[in-house]
Amino acid sequence: MTFLKNFINVLSVASISFILLSSVFAMLVYFCLLDGRVKTKGGTGFLVFGAILVVAGLFVRPLLYLAVAYFLVLWALAKIGPRLWEPKVGKWLLIAGLGGFALSMFDPNFYLIAAKPDNVPIVAMIFLLAIFTWIALRKAYLNDHAILAGGIPYEKTESDEKLFTWPDLVYTEMLCMILLTIVMVVWSVGLRAPLEEAANPTSSPNPAKAPWYFLGLQEMLVYFDPWLAGVVLPTLIIVGLMAIPYIDTNPKGNGYYAFRERKWEIGVFLYGFLVLWSFLIITGTFLRGPNWNFFGPYEYWDPNKLEPLVNVDLSELVWVKLMAMPLPKLWVIREAPGILIVLLYFALAPALAARPFRRFYLKMGGPRYYVGAFLFLFMLALPIKMVLRWLFNLKYLVHIQEIFFNI
Amino acid sequence: MKPQEPIPHNYPMRKLNLIFAVSSIGLLLVTGVMVFYDYIRGWKWYQLEFNRLQADRIEQELNAANDATTRKRLAELDAEMKQGQVEIAKNRDQYLLVQKELDDWEGQHYAADQDYRFAKAKLDAQRYQLETSVLQHRADSAQQQRTYDAMLAHVNELNLRLQRVTHDRDAVRARLDRFLSRIKELEDRKKELTANIDLFNKQLGNVELASKRSILNLPMLDFINPTLKIDQVVLGDLFIDMNYMSVPRVDRCQTCHRAIDRPGFESKKEAERLITELQGRLDRNLIQPTKRADTEDRIAQLKRIVDAKQDILNPFRTHPRLDVFVGSASPHPLLEYGCTSCHRGQDRATEFSRAGHTPASLRMLQRWEKSTNPLFPGPWDYKKRNWGFAENPFLETPMYPRQYYQAGCLKCHAGQMEVDSGDEINKATHIVELYGCHACHKINNWRFTDLRKPGPNLDGIGEKTTPEWAFRWISNPSSFRPTTRMPSFFFQRNMIGPAVPPREREQNIRYQNAEIHSIVTYLFSKSTHRAWSSPPNGDAARGQELVSTIGCMACHVAQDTVKDDKGVVRVARRDDFPLERNYGFNLVGTGTKTHASWIYNWIRNPKAYYATAPMPSLRLSEQEAADITAFLVLQQKPRFMQTPIPPVDRAAVHDLAKGYLINTMTDVEAEAKLRSMPMQEQLVYLGQRSIEKYGCYSCHEIKGFEGLKPIGTELTIEGSKAPHLFDFGFVHEYTHEDGEKQHILHNVPSWVYNKVRSPRIYDDERTKPYNDKLKMPNFHLSEEEARLVTTVVLGLTKEKVAANRMAAADPRLRAVEESRKVISQHNCRGCHVVNRNGRAIAALINDPNYLPPDLTPEGGRAQSPWLFSFLKDPTVTKIRPWLHVRMPTFQFTDSEAATLVGGFAADGSQTQFDTMRYQTVPQQNAAIGREVFAMLRCSQCHSVTPVDPANPPLPNAADSQSLAPNLTLAKLRLRHDWIADWIRRPDEMIPGTRMPTNFPRDAQTGGFQSPLALAIDTPQFAAHKAALLPYFQDEQALRKTMADAVALTNYLRDYIWSIGIDQMRAPGSGPGAPLAPANPQTPSTPSAPAATTIARR
Repeated sequence: MTFLKNFINVLSVASISFILLSSVFAMLVYFCLLDGRVKTKGGTGFLVFGAILVVAGLFVRPLLYLAVAYFLVLWALAKIGPRLWEPKVGKWLLIAGLGGFALSMFDPNFYLIAAKPDNVPIVAMIFLLAIFTWIALRKAYLNDHAILAGGIPYEKTESDEKLFTWPDLVYTEMLCMILLTIVMVVWSVGLRAPLEEAANPTSSPNPAKAPWYFLGLQEMLVYFDPWLAGVVLPTLIIVGLMAIPYIDTNPKGNGYYAFRERKWEIGVFLYGFLVLWSFLIITGTFLRGPNWNFFGPYEYWDPNKLEPLVNVDLSELVWVKLMAMPLPKLWVIREAPGILIVLLYFALAPALAARPFRRFYLKMGGPRYYVGAFLFLFMLALPIKMVLRWLFNLKYLVHIQEIFFNI
Repeated sequence: MKPQEPIPHNYPMRKLNLIFAVSSIGLLLVTGVMVFYDYIRGWKWYQLEFNRLQADRIEQELNAANDATTRKRLAELDAEMKQGQVEIAKNRDQYLLVQKELDDWEGQHYAADQDYRFAKAKLDAQRYQLETSVLQHRADSAQQQRTYDAMLAHVNELNLRLQRVTHDRDAVRARLDRFLSRIKELEDRKKELTANIDLFNKQLGNVELASKRSILNLPMLDFINPTLKIDQVVLGDLFIDMNYMSVPRVDRCQTCHRAIDRPGFESKKEAERLITELQGRLDRNLIQPTKRADTEDRIAQLKRIVDAKQDILNPFRTHPRLDVFVGSASPHPLLEYGCTSCHRGQDRATEFSRAGHTPASLRMLQRWEKSTNPLFPGPWDYKKRNWGFAENPFLETPMYPRQYYQAGCLKCHAGQMEVDSGDEINKATHIVELYGCHACHKINNWRFTDLRKPGPNLDGIGEKTTPEWAFRWISNPSSFRPTTRMPSFFFQRNMIGPAVPPREREQNIRYQNAEIHSIVTYLFSKSTHRAWSSPPNGDAARGQELVSTIGCMACHVAQDTVKDDKGVVRVARRDDFPLERNYGFNLVGTGTKTHASWIYNWIRNPKAYYATAPMPSLRLSEQEAADITAFLVLQQKPRFMQTPIPPVDRAAVHDLAKGYLINTMTDVEAEAKLRSMPMQEQLVYLGQRSIEKYGCYSCHEIKGFEGLKPIGTELTIEGSKAPHLFDFGFVHEYTHEDGEKQHILHNVPSWVYNKVRSPRIYDDERTKPYNDKLKMPNFHLSEEEARLVTTVVLGLTKEKVAANRMAAADPRLRAVEESRKVISQHNCRGCHVVNRNGRAIAALINDPNYLPPDLTPEGGRAQSPWLFSFLKDPTVTKIRPWLHVRMPTFQFTDSEAATLVGGFAADGSQTQFDTMRYQTVPQQNAAIGREVFAMLRCSQCHSVTPVDPANPPLPNAADSQSLAPNLTLAKLRLRHDWIADWIRRPDEMIPGTRMPTNFPRDAQTGGFQSPLALAIDTPQFAAHKAALLPYFQDEQALRKTMADAVALTNYLRDYIWSIGIDQMRAPGSGPGAPLAPANPQTPSTPSAPAATTIARR
């Protein structure tokens, strides 16, 4: 039991679940939805990724655990395949999740955080997210199969039927209302409102946490300069959401669940919503403790815990570590490597347009392609920055304190 | 119409209906649960429980009032009444006749009365008519006037008639009353007898009414006028600082603490205390005659509480000391001060945990945390004290645990040296002042600023002692003097304790020894080296007697062991002695510590050693000083000097010195620098750094550290700091040096208590570099001392109080407080009682007749000019020449003496200067006074022969009981009006005074009785009577005066005034002005410096 706990703790300390979730998603998308067989072509990429993990794990111990977990999941998914979308398997997965959660509640440290009245809704959110994502993907899976077999989506078969508003709609709505009210009343009787002390400018709580829906943004502050994480990226999120209808012109999949016809659209959405938004909220709620340190789910939130602050900038890596010379005085020269990398990163968009993503470029047209690619690159920047932080203690790629510009 | 095609439902209706039914019932149930949980509140239950308790209590009182004697007397009255009725029945015919007549007259009276009133009303209306017609110059004004006059006459006539009828009716009524008078009188007596019972019945009715109206407490109905409701006090000017705004304090504590301000629900302990107090006041006739009966009833009630089977438990207890707290007549009435302004806690909360109750110990916490019924938390069984307690971590002001209650005083009383009735907080602040907490920890309030440094000046340490002694002393002061106030800095728990790994321990010991060596080297290298003259030969036995008689023991202790209650000898602790006697050092081992020459010169003139020495001069003669020196030199502790001193560990000194050097230079430079320094220089350097590190200069004046800020954390608002700002380290429980297991609760009081008790405890289990380890020294505080110090620390809060709520804010009281600070700083209470407190020396003087005077009434008593001269130079007058204890010469500055004098005058509500002293007494008054003086035999103790104020002869008294001041000195010293007041009521001014009470208070009236009222006519006093008669009109006037205590005492005063001496010499100008008088009988001023005896080397 202790071993298990330690194992899970180590995984979480390496923020494993983050990568796990993103890779699991990719795998769900590629292996399980349609025929469930590991395609040799797609599989190579994942095996290569796994190999990189193993190699990196030789240097960074937590990554080794990660690699093990990665292959375990890979294997399990390949084994289960499309059966993942069978109700029975879904049910058992849910039972396993709830059971694991219930068992974990016997651990005092886990209980302390998970049962905090503030955190209860987030616990519920985890399960609700999983359930609804599963349902949506299952329906997409069924529809995709039907379409492949020359049929029509299930929703279409339903659309000609007629139903009464009463009782079919209003009655069920009322039942939901009553049941929800019961839940709310029981909840409010059972748990006290988590009120704290009167606001005091001289004493800030530790950890000082943003409201739950902003925890994702707060988590980004760990990896990015405040002006990026606090101003540019949130703005881009809003702008990006507004841009979706203009970028996504694919008429397929309207009015019914589908995946095969909207692989990229749904993939990007799930990545943005589940990983960039929800998962960061969950991390911020359960895994960030005093001093914003990372704590495993079974770890005691010890306010005395210290993590060494040894992050370095790319310029230091390049000039001091690699070239063994002092930092150049002029910031243009000093930050040249970082600036170059950032420029190259965003140059990926036109570069990729030429080769692997030419299909998209032709289909979407120049402006749509570039706007979409640019936004997508920003979405990818977060996990890239995170990985760089964990592997190389990289603070900033570009760090120009002279003009307060950091990336 | 075509029949509609059936459309299938998406869901089976039966199933939906079933779900609907079940969920509706569920909703109903949870709504019920919600209302139920909202409705059951602990406070409601408490109020119900209290109602029961109250009903029981009232019934008990009722039974007590309705006792056998009362019932018997009631029965007697009933019988008498019956007889009265029988008598009326006998004369029934007559009675009925008169009754009829009265009815008749009543009717007539009614009619006459109504006629008169109506006529008057019409008259008033007519007056208005008349006035308007005159005003408007109407033609009918004359007519109106006539009508008015006619009506006025009519009204007067009717009034006359009414009066006649009333008179006649009253006559008949009086006739009827004669029949009934007896019955009526009996009824009145009965009413009187049952007044109490009726009152209790009424109260009981009220309480029962509450339960009868309980329907109003039902949910949904309880908005009307429920009997169970929240009780609160709104306090606008004792606001709560919510950081962004001040909100009024709304205390709801009495919602559960029902009886907090009503007497009758005291704990047994409090009841016992009250009985003693009230009985004492009754016995001394200090209770107003009209209140005596009530007081006796109250004592009876309290006795019933003491005898009751069960003690009343909180929350139903009456607040203790209602005369001081909460009571409406107390200085802190509930309606003005509430509860949380002293106790802290969440004012608006009505639930146990939320209100901020704080457990006093781990045991209490564990008991509180239990819950009788976890599903329905509430006080269902409050007798078990299981509250389902959960600390509210967000409350910034949790209540003080009960052992620290008096911390709450400091919020408003920090401008006072002592708080009336605040024995604990007074002792606590005194400990903080005496032990010198304020020296290292800045405490920025009036009470703890402008105090002297607690340790001696170390500039001349080389003259006083040797480096060897100093090394051993710094290593372990309490092994030399177990009662010392010097704390232990070295070899403490975090250095050599059980939790320190052996290798580290060994290094710590080396480092600590090196630091001590370096500190000693520094101090001795900076010391002056004046040579002190050696004493003449002295007699140690005489010296010992002098030490024990002339007053040394008021400030000093001379023993390091005491016998405990069982007669077992054990090592002495500071709290074995009064705080005042810890003011000076323990004389044990003085001979080991220092040498004869130093002692001799020090005791003769301490200020010569250093100017701010707290020790005063007792004006010792050369021989006396030599004798005392001989005695003190014999106070040896040879074993202490046998403790081995390790040689200077060069490597350790090097390491430590380098540790400091590399803060400002590189390692290489530091090494070079150290190489260039000889060992001595390294030691001095390290010594300076170590003194800085440990903050020795905070308590001692040390050359080279002038004006440095004190070392400790500022404590000004320490009591308001949140628990997370305290470093609890990793300890939850530990074994204290006295072997007891201590638990640390995660709250501020517990942290502070364990910090002061065992200052290095939070280093346990921690890995820290040598110089980062905790440095606070160990004062070896007893549990009680630690508790008191904690009380003060907790009381230092940031809570603001409106200026009008601060205690002792007006200028008169400020003057008193300023003088009290001087009194405390000079330890006057070692010998004197000030404000009913002090005189530590009393325990050492067997004969109370030889005690130094009680200064409680000094402000009203002494004339300021005399007091000023006396303080500056106590040899100007000798009021009590028989005392062995000497009033020392403190060498007060003018400002200090003036502060004292002004403070005393203010304390006595007197002006400093008055013209009464120039009063000339009428010859006649003095003559009468002289006779009264003789009759009361005052001369038995008081001499009236003129003397030299500076050197009066010893009174020629038969026994020590009769030793009394010479009254010719009174005019110099005493305030004119005070004399008479004092003669009237000496025992009230100074309880237990030796001055007899000649005019006892009368138990009935509370006034003074005169013993001469009757005695004047006895043959014994015939001669006096004859001598007095010429001054009075007649014998009646004489008798009247003789019975009048006020007049008699005024005559006595006039007599005393008439024989008074007017002149005394100026301070510091007396014969034998040199420091050491040849003759100890004529001491003189020591103000001349001791230069003659000190030769520079």
